[in-house]
Amino acid sequence: MVRFALRRLLVLVVALFTVSVVTFLVPYASGGDPVRTILRSRVAGQALDPSAVEALRHDLGLDQPLILQYLDWLGRALHGDFGLSFTSRTPVDQLLGSALGVSFTLTAVALGAAFVAALPLGTLAALRPGKRADTAVTFLTQSFVAVPEYWLAPILVLVFSQHLGWLPSAGWRTPQYLVLPALTLALRPLAYFTQVTRAAMVDVLKAPYITAARARGLSQPQTLLRHALRNGLLPVMTLFSLWFAGLLGGSVVVEVIFAVPGMGQLVYRAVVNHDIPIIQAGILSIVALAVLVTTVTDVLYALINPAVRLHDGSV
Amino acid sequence: MALSSPALPRQHAGRLVQGLRFARGRHWTLRIGAVVFAAVLVTLLLTPWIAPYDPAAQDLNNRLASFSSAHWLGTDQLGRDLLSRLMYGGRFSVSIAAVTLLASAVIGTLIGAVSARRGGLLDEILMRTVDLLIAVPDVIVALLLIAVFGTGYGTLIAALTAVGWTPFARLMRGLTLEINAKGYIEAAETLGCSKSFIIFRHVVPNALRPMLAVGFLRFGHKLITVGGLSFLGLGVQPPDSDWGAMLLDAQPYMERMPMLVVLPGAAIFLTALSVTMIGQGADSARPRRRTGSSQKTAPPTTRGTTS
Repeated sequence: MVRFALRRLLVLVVALFTVSVVTFLVPYASGGDPVRTILRSRVAGQALDPSAVEALRHDLGLDQPLILQYLDWLGRALHGDFGLSFTSRTPVDQLLGSALGVSFTLTAVALGAAFVAALPLGTLAALRPGKRADTAVTFLTQSFVAVPEYWLAPILVLVFSQHLGWLPSAGWRTPQYLVLPALTLALRPLAYFTQVTRAAMVDVLKAPYITAARARGLSQPQTLLRHALRNGLLPVMTLFSLWFAGLLGGSVVVEVIFAVPGMGQLVYRAVVNHDIPIIQAGILSIVALAVLVTTVTDVLYALINPAVRLHDGSV
Repeated sequence: MALSSPALPRQHAGRLVQGLRFARGRHWTLRIGAVVFAAVLVTLLLTPWIAPYDPAAQDLNNRLASFSSAHWLGTDQLGRDLLSRLMYGGRFSVSIAAVTLLASAVIGTLIGAVSARRGGLLDEILMRTVDLLIAVPDVIVALLLIAVFGTGYGTLIAALTAVGWTPFARLMRGLTLEINAKGYIEAAETLGCSKSFIIFRHVVPNALRPMLAVGFLRFGHKLITVGGLSFLGLGVQPPDSDWGAMLLDAQPYMERMPMLVVLPGAAIFLTALSVTMIGQGADSARPRRRTGSSQKTAPPTTRGTTS
């Protein structure tokens, strides 16, 4: 087990190193000279003074070998120092911190709702596979998967904010502002959670201990809650954590539509404005979080279920 | 040989009955999905001949018009025929999704097969890469590439392929390992069959169905992602316009003409739904493989965050 965990840790370190190199190279790869980019953002529209360019290049250490620049950048990045945003001149780590908090709240609410709704739906479908309820749930989940957020969101806004006036259409102030974005975001994970719950429950319900529980005279809810769900929950939990990692930085469209000041919106604005420090810090932290969550999930799963580390050929 | 032959017809009959049962059970999704998707494809293929108007032709006196006999689905903010724009827009959406899907599938299949055949350190490295890449939101990868290379079809396709190959690689690796362990492969090798014969007679037919199922499932996901990037203004650029870009353009006119938002979104939804139904129909029709390690993470198809 320790070996398994150590191997995953090694993979994690290699992955983080790779990602850090890639993000470090963004300003160099994008063709432009970062010094000129910075100066241009300071003195918009004016011709650049060559001596100022060279002075800033020296100040920023950009005349040093690339490897030293990388180590310097990495050292500061590890302390959370990503420099100042080109556009707003605020420290990037402050922007990142508040955006991460917002995205965390949104993701937690959306996935929590999806999870709570998926368990009964998936169980209902699994109780009598192939029957009417199962068919309905299957069709429902397939439809949910196919709904583009940028289609659902405007329609929700049209109905609930503009026609009914129940909920705000965009912004981030009171809990009401959470409802529509969370609803939009929850739809697809709800579908996948339901499908996985169904598949897991179909398997679990065939197990001898379920028959035994029924034979002992346990009621249907008791059987389901005490025996079936507890064992069927594991795959859903794994999927939950993967989605959590994915949505923390990946809910760009929803955050942009509902003007939610989260990670997705931050990185999107940075890409549009060529705000390189934010792009670097944003992508680095989003990918690092995703990779971290995956690794932790993997190790936890192996801890709970020894079959994974013993039989999984990929270990 | 002669002794076993009378048993064969009965075996075939049994298989036929089994097949019919599938068709009556969950297989219906496959048939409905196939019909809808075929209709979409035929419409898009024939668009240059059957579209009622030039999608760029403006009629400023007839802006934001509702349904009429002249414009079946009304007109947009510049008086352009919505039906024609939907048809031409769909050609961009579906073809970009198809190209990225094909690239992802080819790369993923190759990597998966090589990983399974070579094994060892290479296998370990490739599969760990898959594990980690699967967790990275593809929109973020797309944003990174767009930040570096700017918008464009090349960037769009590269961005969606960069992480898109992972499910195919994971599935193909599993399938190759599974098929290689089968008795009939050993039998064929013992009989001296050539490698290419084994690959095309045994490996490809057995891997094809699950691969196709995943392919169709991913198609819907690609379609939505491409539309999402266009909706953000980072995908298909004007004067070209796909369904996502149409949704973006329609935002300011949403209240006056909800159809401008509803219809392009509905087009993406219907197309994505049809391929999802095909994929899941094909997926559920395949005999269930052993659980256990396949439960470790959800099936590769259940991952994907576009939001």
